[in-house]
Amino acid sequence: MMGGFVNAVTLTPLTTASRIAIVENNLIKTTLTKARTIRKKPLKLFNLSHKLHKWLMLFIGAQFVIWSVTGAYMVFFNLDYIHGDSLIINHQNKIKSENLTYSSSTLFQQYPRAKNLSVGMLVNREVYRFNIAKQAFIIDAQSGEPLSPLNKNTAITIAKQLYSGDGKVLNAELITTNPHFGLSARHLPVWQVNFDNFASPSLYISVSNGKLVSKRHQLWYLFDWMFRLHIMDYGDDEDVSNWLLFFIASLGFFAAFSGLVLTYFKVIKPIIISRRKSRDRAKKAQQDNRLPFGDKS
Amino acid sequence: MMLWIRKIHKWASLLIGLQLLIWLTSGLVFNVIDHKKARGNAYRQTAMAEQPTLANQALLPVKSILKLYPATLELNQVSILSQPYYLLTQQQGLYRHFANSYHIVNAITGELTLVDETFAKAIAKATYNGPGNIKSVALITPPIADFLKHKNPSWQINFADDLATSVYVEQGSGRLVGHSNSDKRFADFFFMLHFMDYGSAGSFNTIQMILFAFITLWLTLSGLIWTLHLLRKGQYRLKKF
Repeated sequence: MMGGFVNAVTLTPLTTASRIAIVENNLIKTTLTKARTIRKKPLKLFNLSHKLHKWLMLFIGAQFVIWSVTGAYMVFFNLDYIHGDSLIINHQNKIKSENLTYSSSTLFQQYPRAKNLSVGMLVNREVYRFNIAKQAFIIDAQSGEPLSPLNKNTAITIAKQLYSGDGKVLNAELITTNPHFGLSARHLPVWQVNFDNFASPSLYISVSNGKLVSKRHQLWYLFDWMFRLHIMDYGDDEDVSNWLLFFIASLGFFAAFSGLVLTYFKVIKPIIISRRKSRDRAKKAQQDNRLPFGDKS
Repeated sequence: MMLWIRKIHKWASLLIGLQLLIWLTSGLVFNVIDHKKARGNAYRQTAMAEQPTLANQALLPVKSILKLYPATLELNQVSILSQPYYLLTQQQGLYRHFANSYHIVNAITGELTLVDETFAKAIAKATYNGPGNIKSVALITPPIADFLKHKNPSWQINFADDLATSVYVEQGSGRLVGHSNSDKRFADFFFMLHFMDYGSAGSFNTIQMILFAFITLWLTLSGLIWTLHLLRKGQYRLKKF
């Protein structure tokens, strides 16, 4: 590893005469004015960092590209947009109590084991929702007529009312088992209502309570892939604590740190030196200026 | 062209170098920490007892309640500390943690109930199974440092235990927002660093984050081109290494 460094040191005594340039690896161009400016330690650190950076990045640089591209995707698109919040109109329809002609006490007589009763709106009518054991039910609050399980047309009507975008309903499919990875199994059964618009938005309406349980569009699936790539999870459990990530990120730390050392030598130090020089020059110019003060006029 | 690639790489590294190290360090922290601990639920228990259906007949009819509160969007029968209540949503956000407004009405007496300090303490205690006692209570309006995404005023109930547990109860609904403790705060600190959320916005779609992500793209892509260039020029030789 020290080859380059030894080379540089053995070369210098022979050629310290005046301004010389040592060209190492075609990259390190250090202009030495005098032999005494060669300080052993910084050069060693520079060479070591240079090699580390060059070789580590050959092997893991691709992951840095992946991190930056996936990270950029995740921060450029607003997370609320990715979640599909903008697909939804958040209606604030108030319950008209006079429409509750089927009373809650009648409901409890008819369904004595009903739990978690709620009153709300289903599109434009008042409904009761409740659970018996783990099963959810909806009944019309005016007539007491059961509305669950929801039929396809009602699901489409609900989805259309909630949907904020343009585009027609393409179709609606009933999902009862094996949901795809973007849909939680606890929401089942659901109607997936697909709209014909940019990024193929879908709204998921619960068959048992008629509520919107999820919303997805293609940018969400893309986000999910970006996240997997970002955390280097090539399995299917979205696990941040994987060994591959640990290994690459640890090496990546050294790769980035050595890069920062190079930044110091190649960017920060030259700035400091040129500042110092220009300050010296300015001082000198000031001194020079004192004599021919009125020259300009 | 290579001259420009090198220039871009150097100047981009100057701008984001430190943040890049922070990203890698915090990323490694997420990789190694115990995510179960980082949820902050070490002393949390599910306290809510099953709603007794026998009491259904004793509940006030919902129609009479809705008549009194005509601006209600949704009425939910809930049980707080095993007592039946009606939770009336007056203003509804898309999610529970978005801005919402509620009334809580006792489902047997019809009395409008406010989640005051005593009530909040009792709710918090019922969800807590740790060794500590309540040390202090405060009503916090958002932003709540432990739950930045939560946009509703909440009671913070602090327990004197080894993890400095804080329990948050939403003032409007009496619902538990969550538990937080030193383990969660440790993880949250690194999330703040990773997301550059230095203004505590609870989001990673901030201007500084977008700007830095953009510069990072230039850094890594110029680095990629540089590496490919070195490869093509035969600069990667083990002999030299």
